[in-house]
Amino acid sequence: MALLLGLVVAATPALARPHRIVSLNLCADALVLRLADRADVRSVSWLARDPENSVVAAEAASVPVNHALAEEVAALQPDLVVVGAFTARSTVALLRRLGMPILELRVPQDLDGVRAQIRQVAAAIGQTERGEAMIAAMDDRLAAIRRPASPPLAVVLRPNGFTAGRGSLVDEILRQAGIRNLAAEQGLENFGEIPLERVALSGVRLLILNQPENRAPSLGEAVLDHPILAALPDLHMVRVPARLWTCGGPEVADAAALIAAAARQAEGEGP
Amino acid sequence: MTAETTDRRASAPSYPLLLAGLAVAALACLAGSVATGYAPLDLKAATGDLLAGRQSLPALVLLELRLPRALLGLLVGFSLGLGGAAMQGLLRNPLAEPGVIGVSAAAALGAVLVFYTGLAGSFALALPLGGIAGAVLATLMLLALARRGAGTMTVILAGVAISSAAGALTALALNLSPNPYAALEIVFWLMGSLADRSLDHVWLVLPPMAVGWALILAGARALDALTLGEDTAASLGFDLGRLRLQLIAGTALAVGSAVAVTGAIGFVGLVVPHLLRPLVGHRPGRLLLVSGLGGAVLVLLADIGLRLVRVQPELKLGVVTAVIGAPFLFSLIWRLRRSA
Repeated sequence: MALLLGLVVAATPALARPHRIVSLNLCADALVLRLADRADVRSVSWLARDPENSVVAAEAASVPVNHALAEEVAALQPDLVVVGAFTARSTVALLRRLGMPILELRVPQDLDGVRAQIRQVAAAIGQTERGEAMIAAMDDRLAAIRRPASPPLAVVLRPNGFTAGRGSLVDEILRQAGIRNLAAEQGLENFGEIPLERVALSGVRLLILNQPENRAPSLGEAVLDHPILAALPDLHMVRVPARLWTCGGPEVADAAALIAAAARQAEGEGP
Repeated sequence: MTAETTDRRASAPSYPLLLAGLAVAALACLAGSVATGYAPLDLKAATGDLLAGRQSLPALVLLELRLPRALLGLLVGFSLGLGGAAMQGLLRNPLAEPGVIGVSAAAALGAVLVFYTGLAGSFALALPLGGIAGAVLATLMLLALARRGAGTMTVILAGVAISSAAGALTALALNLSPNPYAALEIVFWLMGSLADRSLDHVWLVLPPMAVGWALILAGARALDALTLGEDTAASLGFDLGRLRLQLIAGTALAVGSAVAVTGAIGFVGLVVPHLLRPLVGHRPGRLLLVSGLGGAVLVLLADIGLRLVRVQPELKLGVVTAVIGAPFLFSLIWRLRRSA
């Protein structure tokens, strides 16, 4: 249903490009702000201004922000509302009842999903060429990644204590970086927990963590204080800035490049 | 009823034999817990390396992961069983347990506050100390509310009040936390788990637990006297005010530190004393040590079991004990209702 609606919305704007775009979701903000004309964007989510999680913090500084409340959105009289599939559900339901044109973005599971989503948004806002340019730039960056000669085993630890397994975008980022994902090899689907015992005994060389480090205390990161991690020989750590892999945007190529560089260092192949 | 009780006493095993049996069972479960894990580990080689002081990978896993988990299971189980038996004896109510008097909830609140204000990051012991502080505060409140000859009902009501206040404040702390995952983390944490704890945690909780155990066990004879009624016990020379203070403080120390490192593991303090009571001839004093050992066996078995079923994410220990314990509680209430 959401997909169908997305297609319907995507099919129409060739005739009339939307000029009053409102985005309610951090990941949608990033695509809308970079693909649309600035004059066409009425509002983006308040999270878009957070330099740690947003890749478009600078661009968002000059655009009014919203807190995904139906009232503020309706007052803007948007001709396109871009929302996330899992955020502000009650607002979206209300806007839908008001008959607003809504484009719902799902969470991409792989790079093809990222490409499809860029195309979907670009089409909806009548900027197909910019969308293709964005995809081409991402593919160039992916092609330029210098992968380690021998793929080291790595494990991801997200700030909520979960690790990323098969079928997640993070897993594909690791594959693009030329490293092996322990969680995926152990048969973990999507996101889940991985016992430290497995990490210790499987010969993991690289621990991939989120940046910023412990800005807000989290139990997930508290695992990192476990003495066994300090005792493991040859364990390297790399922190990926949250804004590079929180959303399935073209910046995941940068996340992959960063991880690849860390992997080459862990394997002693130089920077 | 009296005849039945006499019967049970006659068929009950001798106390030293029961203690020895439970101690052996607890040690066997401890060994079983060390032998259970997610990744194959050559225990013989690991033990050899460990004893020889070699820093091999298996030895590290044994020392830093398997051993702390098993030891914490033992310590926490013992504390919960002992605390439950103490509370049931003191309040002379088979439904009493540390959760009932608000100690668990307050300890959780203390740990949550320390954690999400960032205090836990400043020094290693902050988290358990927060839990103990919460438990001690709850105890002080309980004593203030239910002092001077207050009846059992007052104590239980005070416990309920403390529990709900602590629960509300925990929710408030999560509301205000800058960490977007705080609520998720704490919901899982409150379900209780022994996963990925370290030896640091063991050393951290051992001293306060040991003091708590000593306080509780020292009240054994007074608890036996209490079965004759508060007035009779007082006339036998037992200071009931002191006994109450001693048992509640002991439970706060033991259970508070347990909750601080493992989260809330419910029902152990309820089910274990109840199961073992007939075996000690319904004497609350004797029940203490027996119930502690039984608690250790139950927690260790549950923790072994949840690792054997291999569900990911790992089943939470508190959930497993609750699944075992909840039907038990229902049957208990059912029987109480019938006999009333």
